[in-house]
This record gives sequence, structure tokens and C-alpha cells, in this order.
Amino acid sequence: MAFETLVRPEEMPGQRSAILDWPYREGLRIDEAMHPLTILATGLYGEEMPKQNGAPMRLVVPWKYGFKSIKSIVRISLTDTQPLTTWNMQNPREYGFYSNVNPEVDHPRWSQATERRVGSGLFGGRVDTIRFNGYGDEVAALYAGQDLAKDF
Amino acid sequence: MWVDVMNGWLRKLPAWPIYIVGPMPAIWLFSQGVADTLGPDPVKAIEHQTGLYALQLIIAGLMVTPLRRFVGLNLLKLRRAIGLMAFFYASLHLLTWVALDMAFHMAQALGDIVKRPYITLGMAAFLMLVPLAATSNDRAVRKLGALRWRKLHRLTYPAAVLGAVHFVWLVKAWPPKPLIYLGAVVALVALRAVPRRSRPPVQEKGAVVPPPVVSS
Repeated sequence: MAFETLVRPEEMPGQRSAILDWPYREGLRIDEAMHPLTILATGLYGEEMPKQNGAPMRLVVPWKYGFKSIKSIVRISLTDTQPLTTWNMQNPREYGFYSNVNPEVDHPRWSQATERRVGSGLFGGRVDTIRFNGYGDEVAALYAGQDLAKDF
Repeated sequence: MWVDVMNGWLRKLPAWPIYIVGPMPAIWLFSQGVADTLGPDPVKAIEHQTGLYALQLIIAGLMVTPLRRFVGLNLLKLRRAIGLMAFFYASLHLLTWVALDMAFHMAQALGDIVKRPYITLGMAAFLMLVPLAATSNDRAVRKLGALRWRKLHRLTYPAAVLGAVHFVWLVKAWPPKPLIYLGAVVALVALRAVPRRSRPPVQEKGAVVPPPVVSS
């Protein structure tokens, strides 16, 4: 499944520079996209989705937290091959297609072993990162037989 | 000339207020962090801002010599204070990373210093600043002798370049801001390579300048 973000540089000033190959693209496997935990969000905290958070609709994949959260989706297509994703195109060594939360896979620029919790404040400290962001019971079966260090 | 007027003012200006005013943004930043008004990730905000201040102060320090050489503006008496403030903010930046960001997970922090090139570079830049800060007093200058002291303090150049590369490397993609900082640092260091022309003979005031010889 391929997702594309709206390109509207007059309203989205970041798109005025060719910093990425616009439109922003994301992709999921069909079974990932169909999973009940995968959300197409139209709101935030009970309000309509604000523009800066990706109105009118954005993707949220809880076990890939921090990744795949494409905003302002204008096109979803079914492709017969693995779709291109923006960060993978930009830097394939750092960003894989799957981008599952996985403490055992090191990102070249940071460790995924521990994390700081959003909202924990100045002295919140670090906690151990959990595989699949804690949703292992729900989603680990999707990747049975796959080496997730290779398919990162 | 405005430069002479400026230099006149600067001569009267003491350097010590920099040590009072310089740490104020840090106090402001940390108090905002404690009051939790720095957005969802106050640790990141403090980490980034202290790093940015350090880099900006290093650039300010690097501007002193070219300003004197190419513009005639003499800020030399402020340079030590600027450099020490740069070290102060670089230390806070490192401390924020170790204490607030890594939360003293020392094994992971040391691993990151070795494994992540941008952290390696940042750490190397900081270590280069340590001897410079330690010798930023008159006693050290006397002890080392001006020549050796100046040679040692050329470490500023690699430290500045590594600091800027550290900034470029840690962001994803190629946003312009870190590249502008790197460009500024490289340009300021490159100015040091402009060869000094041998000084023209000093002319006495009121000396008669011989007319140029025109050959026909």
C-alpha cells in the first residue's frame, strides 16, 4: 500500500525547497495496513485534526511509533511491488521499509535500546524500549519467519 | 572613520560584563525547562539551544582576528570572554546530553561516542576546547610563552569545524541552517590562510609622496 502527501508549497513552506523528493511517500504491507491497530486518524484529542498535525487525515501505526506517520494523505494506492518510501529513498542505510520499533536494531545515528517518554519533562529519564512498542502480542505474528534485523 | 570611533569606545569597554550577561540565556533556558514551557521535549530544546549558543560563540570568537585584520575593528580584549562563554555552553550541551538526555546510562553514552560519528565529532571538538579553556588566563600565557600559547590555541580551528560538522551530521536530510553555520566556520578559518603581505614602508604623516613614474 502506497500513501502520498499533498504537495502544496504555497501553503506548506517546507516543500518550497527540494530537501526531499516531493510528494512525501510512505508504504505499508497490505497485512500491516489492514491490521486493526493501524489507524487513519482524522482528529486529535477529540478535536478535528489541526493542519500542522496532518489534516485532513494521517496515518498512525502504533508499533512503528515515530515512523510511517504520513500526514495530509491525498492518495492511497495498491501496488504490485514494494512501494517507495521517502526516507528510504533519501537514506536507505538509516531508514528501512518496515521501521518497526525494535530495541535490538541500532539506528546508525542513535540507539533504539532506550527511550525518553514524551511528556516526562526535564528529569524524566529513560526507560527500556519494548519491541513493537509493546504491541508484540498483536503484531509479532505478521513477521513470523522474517529476520527483523535485516528487514529493519 | 567609524572604525576608529568604535575602537575608541571599545577601549573604554570592560570585558567582565560578558561573564555576567553570557550565562543569563542558560539560566533563562533551564528555568523555562523546569517550568515546563519548552514544548513537549524540553530536554531536546535545551540540548539543541546550548549547542547552538556554543557554536555561535565559537563563530563570534573566530571573527575577532579577521575583523581586526580586514576591517580594523579591534575586539581582541573581548575574545577570551567570548571563548570561555563558548566553552561554558559547550560544557552545558555535553552535560545536558549526559545527565538529562542519556540520564546517566553511561554504557550507552560511551557506546554512542564510539559508534555514532556525529557524537564522536562533537566529543572530539569538546575535548579540543578543554586545554584552550584551561589556558585562558594570563598565568598560562606567561608560562607557555606567547608563541606556544598561540600555537595551542589554533586548536580552535579544528574544534570549530568539527563542531559545525557535528551539527550538519545530526540532522536528517540537508536543511540550510547547519550548512550555513558550517559555511561560516569554514570561511572564517580559511581567512587565516590569506597570506600576509609584507608591510609597506611606514609613511610619516605629511611626508611627500613621490609621484608615480609614468613611462611613455
